[in-house]
Order: sequence, then structure tokens, then C-alpha cells
Amino acid sequence: MIVCIAVVGHQNNPLYLQSFTEADDALKLHHIVHCSLDVIDERVNNPKKTGPTLNETFLGLLYPTENYKVYGYLTNTKVKFILVTTDLDVRDADVRNFFRRFHSAYVDAVSNPFHVPGKKITSRTFAERVSTIVKSFGLSTAV
Amino acid sequence: MEDYPEELRTPPVTLVSIVGFPELHSTISTYLHSEQPPINTLALPDFSKISVMARNPKDKTLDSSSAQPGGILKKDWLLKHRTRSPAVIAALILLNGYRVVARGRNAKTVVVVVQSTENDEVSEDRIIALRKRAEVDSKYLLNFVSDASQLKESLNRLGSTFAELANTYYREEGKRIKARIEKKNTNSLELIIRYCFKVAVYAEFRRDWVEALKFYEEAYHTLREMIGVSIRLPPIQRLIEIKTVAEQLCFKVSTLLLHGGKVIEAMTWFRKHIVCYKKLVGAPDVVFLHWEWVSRQFLVFAELLETSSVTVPNTSSQLSVMLEKGLTEWEFNPAHYYQLAAHYLREKRLCLEVVLSVSEASPSSAADGIESGSVSVIPSVFIGQFSQLFEQEDAFRTQPLTDAEYILYAIAEGKRFQDSFEIIALFKKSFEMYNNLKAQRMASYCGHLMAIEYFTIGDFSNAKQLFDGVANLYRKEGWVALLWEVLGYLRECSRRLSSVKDFVEYSLQMAALPISSSSGSQPSDYKRKYGPSGPASLSQRQSIHNEVFELLRGEYTLSSNEGSSDLKVEADRPVHLEIDPISPLRVVLLASVAFHEQVVKPGASSSLTLSLLSQLPQPVEINHLEIQFNQPESNFIITSPQRSLLDVRSGDQQDLRVETAPFLTLHTNKWLRLTYDMKSDQSGKLECLSVIAKLGPYFTIICRAESPASMDALPLWKFEDHVETLPTKDPGLAFSGQKIIQIEEQDPQIDLVLGVTGPALVGESFLVPVTVTSKGHNVCFGELKINLVDARGGGLVSPRESEPFSNDSHHVQLLNVLGPDGEYESQSGPDNIRSIQHSFGLVSVPLLNFGESWSCKLEIKWQKPKPVMLYVSLGYLPSSNEAKEQKVHVHKSLQIEGKTALAISHHFMFPFRRDPLLLRIVKPIPGSDPTTSLAFKETSILVVNARNCTEVPLRLMSISVEVDGDDTGRSCRVQQGGGSLPSQPLLVPGEEFKQVFSIIPEVYLQSVGVGTVCLRWRRESGLEEQTSSSIIAAGAVTRHKLPDVNVEMVPLVVSLECPPYTILGEPFTCYVKIQNKTKLLQEIKYSLADSQSFVLSGSHNDTIFVMPKSEHILGFKLVPLASGSQQLPRVTVTSVRYSAGFQPSLAAATVFIFPSKPHFEMEDKVTENKASLLMNEQIS
Repeated sequence: MIVCIAVVGHQNNPLYLQSFTEADDALKLHHIVHCSLDVIDERVNNPKKTGPTLNETFLGLLYPTENYKVYGYLTNTKVKFILVTTDLDVRDADVRNFFRRFHSAYVDAVSNPFHVPGKKITSRTFAERVSTIVKSFGLSTAV
Repeated sequence: MEDYPEELRTPPVTLVSIVGFPELHSTISTYLHSEQPPINTLALPDFSKISVMARNPKDKTLDSSSAQPGGILKKDWLLKHRTRSPAVIAALILLNGYRVVARGRNAKTVVVVVQSTENDEVSEDRIIALRKRAEVDSKYLLNFVSDASQLKESLNRLGSTFAELANTYYREEGKRIKARIEKKNTNSLELIIRYCFKVAVYAEFRRDWVEALKFYEEAYHTLREMIGVSIRLPPIQRLIEIKTVAEQLCFKVSTLLLHGGKVIEAMTWFRKHIVCYKKLVGAPDVVFLHWEWVSRQFLVFAELLETSSVTVPNTSSQLSVMLEKGLTEWEFNPAHYYQLAAHYLREKRLCLEVVLSVSEASPSSAADGIESGSVSVIPSVFIGQFSQLFEQEDAFRTQPLTDAEYILYAIAEGKRFQDSFEIIALFKKSFEMYNNLKAQRMASYCGHLMAIEYFTIGDFSNAKQLFDGVANLYRKEGWVALLWEVLGYLRECSRRLSSVKDFVEYSLQMAALPISSSSGSQPSDYKRKYGPSGPASLSQRQSIHNEVFELLRGEYTLSSNEGSSDLKVEADRPVHLEIDPISPLRVVLLASVAFHEQVVKPGASSSLTLSLLSQLPQPVEINHLEIQFNQPESNFIITSPQRSLLDVRSGDQQDLRVETAPFLTLHTNKWLRLTYDMKSDQSGKLECLSVIAKLGPYFTIICRAESPASMDALPLWKFEDHVETLPTKDPGLAFSGQKIIQIEEQDPQIDLVLGVTGPALVGESFLVPVTVTSKGHNVCFGELKINLVDARGGGLVSPRESEPFSNDSHHVQLLNVLGPDGEYESQSGPDNIRSIQHSFGLVSVPLLNFGESWSCKLEIKWQKPKPVMLYVSLGYLPSSNEAKEQKVHVHKSLQIEGKTALAISHHFMFPFRRDPLLLRIVKPIPGSDPTTSLAFKETSILVVNARNCTEVPLRLMSISVEVDGDDTGRSCRVQQGGGSLPSQPLLVPGEEFKQVFSIIPEVYLQSVGVGTVCLRWRRESGLEEQTSSSIIAAGAVTRHKLPDVNVEMVPLVVSLECPPYTILGEPFTCYVKIQNKTKLLQEIKYSLADSQSFVLSGSHNDTIFVMPKSEHILGFKLVPLASGSQQLPRVTVTSVRYSAGFQPSLAAATVFIFPSKPHFEMEDKVTENKASLLMNEQIS
């Protein structure tokens, strides 16, 4: 199950952060997302270390936490997507697929003429779409 | 890791025992220890002590496989094998005295016969007897010679034998135990684990790491099966034992994997270990023991990683394995494990706190018993087990514990430790490691957790320092939710530290954070999850806002840490906050100041708009505002009409301007715009420095003013999707407005005139009159600055050009500044500043009253024709009161062309009708430069032309040819022809002047310098002539360097002699003179053509011979037949020797024929003049 999805801007500032847990550990998820930015920085600045993920938007598994898996994605405009999931056995293809769908939702949201680039995304439509994508993430693994 | 016993932490080392001959022990043990691999020695002085190694008979009963084992691993087994149970026993004997003692053990025996020297003969019989008695193979009966020469060899022999035997011993022991496993004659899992462990240890003794690893893993897996199956002990203690054994096995496996370089395997192994055991939480009362255990796993693994200096895999094959296993690069870093160790230790602390609070609530008698010490709990003989120790009649008796007793014991133990310091130390280690890796966010997360731990133990100053660092990062990156939590802690810390100012700052920052969501519900344990301020919400912001403003108004007292010193804001303890453009408090109050104009005249007024913005959630009322400028007299105060001025004006602010505003209340995210007129008499920069807002009786904010044009967006809020408005109503002003206005200086009431007429001429001293006339201002302390700048850019200096007649390399030079009367300024008085350089001058102007004027002349000399910008600026004070007034400046500039006055040209020619034969002209040598050739010792004519190129008449003062200074002696004689100048001729613009010189070269040389034409002239300035000074009278000099000439020997000179004019019909004689200047006979051919205008007599064609150094004259008698200018018959002279022909030029062969004898009524002189004039004409 996806517990958190975040969009992080150029100054490493959160543009959108939504957690999908009943429990009140939103702050902890904030910390996890924030810490995983270090891994993204590391991967982007030392691309030779990452080898196979070179020149790819999907950054792969980022951050080892015991209860969560954190995946990253870097768009061509250097906006970062971070996914936190509690599933410990996740297929890469599912995550890639998720990010692809999330990316297109993001592109639609920021293409809104009333959206100012670099500001937080407050669109309700975007939030709805994201929650649909998040829900279908669980389903697609089952299928 | 340090908690583990030494024998577990280090790889096992072979142990041998040597008995007897104590004097040799240190030599042998030192040697064996330095062997590779090393061997430890158990040295016994004599055989009586050998019982140390003897097997304890009690062991036998315990070790019997039939009985149910009491535990899995015995605690001292490993230690025993490392320190007390040797693989080899070596008896050092002289000859006799060895008894078999170690029969019960499988230890190998070696008998070493010690000889003092090699020569000590040991008889064969005795050796055999000894072997029999000792039951050793002859191979293991060694001779040891303690003689220095043989010692090394003996030791080597000893060492290799020991190593070999020890290896055999450990292999056999291993095999023996392995056989027990394979036989499967026991179904006790404990024993299998124990056997596996033993086999692994024996393998380690032999350095067989692969087998060791295999059996440790085997033991570990078997242990795993025991969970939930074993019923030997009470459940809590059973789990504790299993975990403790698992820990040791895991440690061994990890160590072997890491030291074997199998990093990824080690990681995966460890991860599995944690995943598997983390779930085994155990009984709720002793959960803390579990977390402590988990924490220790991470700590030990972190230490292992750190000491084995693991590198992140970087080959692609390793990487793919890593990805497959779901490992990330951070897992190769010890910091990650330290952080987790700290995290679980923290978990342990929290659980322990819960347990303690429960146990304190219901104290039991058993706990008293445990704590009082009458019954003591000691570790039992098995690893991970504890037992009770009773003291009964001078004997100790151990007894197993019940789980309830064990829990009490564990709690009592737990109380003794302060985990917080350990937690902080672990986080700190992780923090530093992440910092070294430049992973600032991970580091700050560790810092954050560390700070919370400090906060928990009440070390608020350390906590505050750490939180501040963390808050900076979150603030920079705009993580509002995280920042809220940290600020909440900071606010609490400053309250506990009794720092009102910090408390106010953090409270205001929190209140102004961009948090709009309102999550009303507050979970009960919110303090643990959200820090002291609760979850971030708008209502929370509002309540913090209200609280802090109540405090600032003095209506509310803050209780500090101890409660002894309450925090209160009072008249004698006011709060001042400073906000600068980088302060995080900018969101609380932002002051933007914009002048509506950029430049203003002194005394004129300009509008100033002050805009204030606050993001505080509630409206804030300002008592009054004070605006401060760099010119303090411009400061003013803004107050609202409701407030009386009494509390505004205090002390030194009495004379300040006071403005009123209809209201002074700041609403959230709404600019408060106030516009006032500003006026300043002082020229220069007027800058608004700060805005001081008084928000209550004891609270002021000093806010640095910012220009709207260069204002940064509000931190944190800039990422928010909220309405942004401009600080001023006029959008143009919002983008370009400045907090600085330039106040111009006063208009000068002075005329500065540069009176220049026409262009300057190169070489002359050009005078530029400068006039200063007062038209309203007095001129005090006036200074005239003069500056010459090349109008086309580039310098006035060209160091590369070397001009023979310019002493310095300045093309245009300011020579002097002359006083009004044309004289040099007298240098009188200290005020008289005077400084003149090549292109810069500074002259002081005397005091001028209204209507007076002063003038001077700038003397500028051009060396090259070049346009120049002349800048003259006058700075003065309008009155003599130096302190008050500001300098007024007048600037004037003028472009002055520099022109060449005279264009000088020249040419050489031969005398009229006399032509020397110059061989070079006849036959130019190829490659030679086309220089002019002159005949040696023959007169040549030099004509110099000077044309006036200017637009003003010039008067020529003199013209001469000067010999160059470097010529030694005279190379040619130059005479001015045509008499002297006729009283300084005047050249009108464009007119040309000619001067003739005759030159007789006196040196026969290839190249001879003729000299330089020196032309002295001056401007014909008409009326001004009287006023012009002696400098002008001296005139300017223009020079023209004549080129070098070739001087040649002349073999022949042909001259034509003929009267200048004749009369029609009258016969005259014409001679052609041929001078032979050589010492050779010259054959000359000549011919004469007929002419219609003349009848002539004489031979037409002939060949003559001219004698050396003599002259031949050909004479022709001619009668003119026509009048006017007529051509004489053409004579052609040809030198056979030089194959050079000569014909006189047309001009030379022309005579004028009068029709009848003319009657000149003039004196001879005039005729002569006329003749010469005629000649001049012909020349030209």
C-alpha cells in the first residue's frame, strides 16, 4: 500500500505531499521524504555510481527504512517524485508504471494556466486523480 | 561490540602449553606469538601445576549427551579453549621427570629434550626409553639447544612442530564432534547447536573460514527452529537465551562474511536476521529488553562495518546483485545502522518508562527482595541464562529463576542505566557520519532526534542549539510541517531557558508559518508525535499568536522551567526585535519603502510610500511607527489619531515630524500602505534605513527597510499558492521603487566660459582662455580642474612612437596655466593649490564676489594633429561657511582640433643649363633605393615649399636648413639662395611659399644627411598681437627632415651657355661645354638638329675627344628668325665610354627673342631681379 506520495520542487521544497494512512504518522513520512532527497542528490550528482539507472527518470529504490520502501523519480524539469510504500515486495515495473501515470497527472496539473510554477499544487482535481492512481497501484499488483 | 567477551570478538588462536624449564618460557612464547599464524603459549613452570589443564570431573556429568542439556552454549567453553585447553603439550625436560598427566585429553604431546650445547651427547638408549615412557612418536621428541648459535633453529623446529600438531588436534576434535552431529544420536536441538558451534570454533582455530561459516550458519538455522518449540525454560527466559545465542552466532557470521569481503552477503544476512527476530517481541513486560537487543544488533553491525571499512560496490555486476537484493547505497554506511541502533534504544527507553511507571504504581514484595540484594542474580554457566544465588551456610547455591523474578530483575537492571546519553552518542555518531557524506538532510534528521533526546533529559541549551541548525535547513527548503515541529521544541526550550526574546521570536515565527489546514482533533499522545506544539493547524497558529501578544502586553506571565523565575514582559524588561532581510522573522513584519522619484532637487518634495506586510494570523495593531533615514533630520513618526502624542515623543525625539495615519492595523497578508511627502535640503543620498514599529508598551520591532525593486519573496510563503499583492498601488513603482533618493546639488550660479577660436596648430602654444563669472553665488574655495582626453579614445601617449623632435611622448600636453594678465600665476599663499601634469591640471580660483569675474589661460601644446576633449570643471562653495554648505560643481567641455600648420615639401634639381652625368640615373643599379643623387662638388639646387594648411594667416619668421646635430663636420655646404626673406612674409590660407637653397656636397659618400628644414612662424593674430605674450612672439617651429642623398663622382659635366634673350635678326653664340673630370680620354659624339627659327653655323655631327681633366667647348653661331619664345636647335651629346646620351631639357633649350631691342628703363638691379624672377618661373 502506498502510504505517501510527494512532489518536491527545485529548491527541494515540497510542492505536494499527501499521505494515505489512517495513523497519525504524517510527520514521520515528512521526515522520510525529506531524507530521501539526500539519496536523490547523491544519485543525480554521482551518476556513475548508479550505473543502470543512468539517464532514466526512474531513480529506483532510494532509501532503506525497515517498514517502508522509498522510490524516486526525477522529471525532465528536475521535479522529484517520491513514493513511500509499506509493501516490502514491490515489482519495479509497477512502480515505474505508477510514476508514469503520476507524471502525466502532474503535467496536467501544472499546465493549468492558473498554476504558478514553483508554487504548491493545490488543485483538488489533481488530488482526486492522485488518490485514484494510488488506489489502483494496489490493484495492479494483484492482477 | 565491546560488551562481547574478548574470545568472541577476536579470531581464535592456537594454544600450546609448555611445561618445565621456566627460564626458556619467555623466549619460546615470544617466538611462537610472532609466528604467522601466531600461537599462544600456556607456560607452566613445572609438572606439579599441570593439573590446571586437567578436566574438571563435574564437566563430565554436564556434558553427557543422555541428559537434557541445561542450555545451548556454555559460557566459558570458548574461553577455556583459548586459555586453558592447549592443543599441544610440550614437556621440556633435561632427561627425566616427565609423567603423563594429560591422558584424559586428546592433546598432543611433545617431549623436548633441552641441551645446553650441541655437544651434549644423549645416548640412543635413553631416548628410546623416554619415548616409551612418554608414548610419543620419535618425530615429536625434539632436541632443543639453548645455545645462542642453535637457538633460532631450535625455535623454528619447535614452532613448525607445534603448528602441525595443533592443526591435527583441532581437526581431530572437529571431526569427533562432527561425527556426533552426523550420527544424529541426539534429538536435542541445543546439543546440535552446541556441536555445530564447537565444530565452527575448531575450524576457526585451523583458519578454515569456509567450514567455520558453514557450521555457524548451521547452528543459527537450528537455533531458529528452536523458537516456540523448546520448553526447557520459562518462556521469557527461553526467548532471551535464544536471542542471546542468535546474537553471538550472527556476530560470528557477519564478521566472517565481512572479513571475507562478501559485503552484499553480509548485508543480506544481517537484514534477514533482523527481519526474523524483530517480530519476537516477547512478553509485554520486558518489551524493552527486546528493543535493547535489536538496538545492540544494529550497533554491533555498525561497528563491524566501520572497522572493516566497507566500500559501496561500484562494479556493475555487484550493482545488479545489490539491486536484486533490494539494497541501497546507504545500507553500506555505518551511519545508517548507528541511527537505527539509536532509534531502537529510544524505543527501549520509552517502553521501559511505561513499565517503570506501572511497577512504581504497584510495588511488589518480590521486587523488594531482588532489589535489596539478599538474593542476587548472576549470569549462569550457559550463555543468556541467569540464576539466583543464595548464600546458605557459607556455601553458595544457585537456583533457576522464575519468569516473574526475571522480569523484576530485568526492570531493576534497566533502571540503573541512563539510556539517553547512549542514544545521544549514537545519534551524534550518525549525525557526524552523514555530515561527512554531505547528506545534510539525513544528518539534520539525526540532529533533530538527538535534540529531542536532549530535550527529554532536560538539557535545553544543547537541544536549542541543535534544533536551530535543523530549523535552518527546513526553513531554507520550505518544509513547513517539519519546521513547525522544530519551532515548537525551540519555543519550549527558550521558555525553559527563561529567554523571553527567543520565546517571542519563535512564537511569532510559528504564528506566521504558512499553515492553513485545520485539523481539529488532537490525539492523546500528540506530544510524542508532534512535539510540544501539537499538530500544525491554523487554530494552533492563532492561539500561539494570542498567547505571545498577551505576553508582550504584559497581561500574561510565562511559567519557566523551575517555576521560580516567571517570564514577564514589563517596563524594565522590554522586548526589542530586529528584522533584517535574511531574518526568518521577515514573515512577521516586512517593511518596504519606495520613493516615487529617483532624483529630486534640494528643497523640493517627493512622495514616499511605506508598505508594511505581516503574515500573522490575527490583526496586529501598531501604536506608532518611526521611519529612520541616513539623514537623521528627515526622520519622522507616524501615529494613528487615536493615540495621544505624549507616549510617542520621548526624550530626544522632541523635534521630529509627526504624521498621522487613519489606522495602523496590520491584517494578514494585506499591505498597509502609507504615503507621505519627504523633503531634504541636503544634497546627496537620502536613504531610508529602518522602520521601527512599536506594537505595545514594551514591544518594538526594528525592521530594516527594503526597496521594492530588490525585495526577495517572503521565505516559506513564496511556495504557497496564495494571493500576492504589490507593496505599492502603482505597479511600476513596485518593480522599480528604491528606498534611496538622490538629492541633486544646487544649481550653480556661475558662468564658466571657454573661449576658443578655431583649431589649434601643431607646434604652437595654444592658449585657451577660461573665464569664471559670478552670477549670483560667491565663489569660495573654488577649484578649477582641467582634464585633457583624447577625443577619439585611446591615450594621449604613445610610448612606442619615437619622434625625433618630441622630447616626451605626449601628443597633447597641458603646459601651463597662465594668469589673467598672461603671466604665470604667482604661487602665493597656502590656499593656492596648483598642480599641473601632462593632461591634468588643478588650479585654485580666488574668492569672487557677486558680479566679479576671473580668468586664466590654459597653455596647451599639440605635438601631433589630434582632436582633444578639454574638460574644465569648477567646484566651489557658495559661501565661506565651509561646514554647512555643499560644494557646487560646474562642468564645461570642448573639443579642440589639432591641425598641422604648414605642409612642407622639397625637391632637388641641377643648376640651370648645367648637367653633370650621374651614372646612377643613367644606369640605376637594381635593388638600390631610389634616393636622390647629387653630384660631388657640384652645385645642386634645393627648393623647399611651405604651404599654409590652416584657415588663419600665418607669418613666416625665418626659414633655414639646419644641419643635424649628430653630423660630424660638414658633409655639404648649404647656402640660402635668392637672398634673405623679404621681412617675414605673410601666408594667407592655402598660399605656398618657396625658398631655394644651393647645396654643394663636399663628401663623397653613399648617403649624406642634408639637414632639417626649420620653419619658424607664428599666427598672424592682428589686433591681439599686443596682448599675446612673449611665448607667442617667439613663434612656433615646424621642422621637416630632408632625406639623405647619394653623392656621386661626376665623370662629365655638360653645360649649355646661351644668353637669356636675344633680338630678332641679331646673331649670337651658343656654347656647349663638355668638361671631362676623369683622368681618361673621353670620346664624345654630338649632333645638332636643324631648327626653323634659327639659322645656324657649325658642324652638325662629329666625334671629338676630350682630354683628361680638361674642357671642350663647342660653339654655334645662331641668327634668330622668329620672335617669341623659341626652341634652340637640339643638341645631343653622347659619351661613348658611358653609352650615355644627353639632350638639354626643353626649358633649358628655350630662349626668348625680342622683335627689336627692348628699352628697359630700369636700373640694373631691377633687371637682375627680373631675370632671377624669370629664372624662378622657369624652375617651377
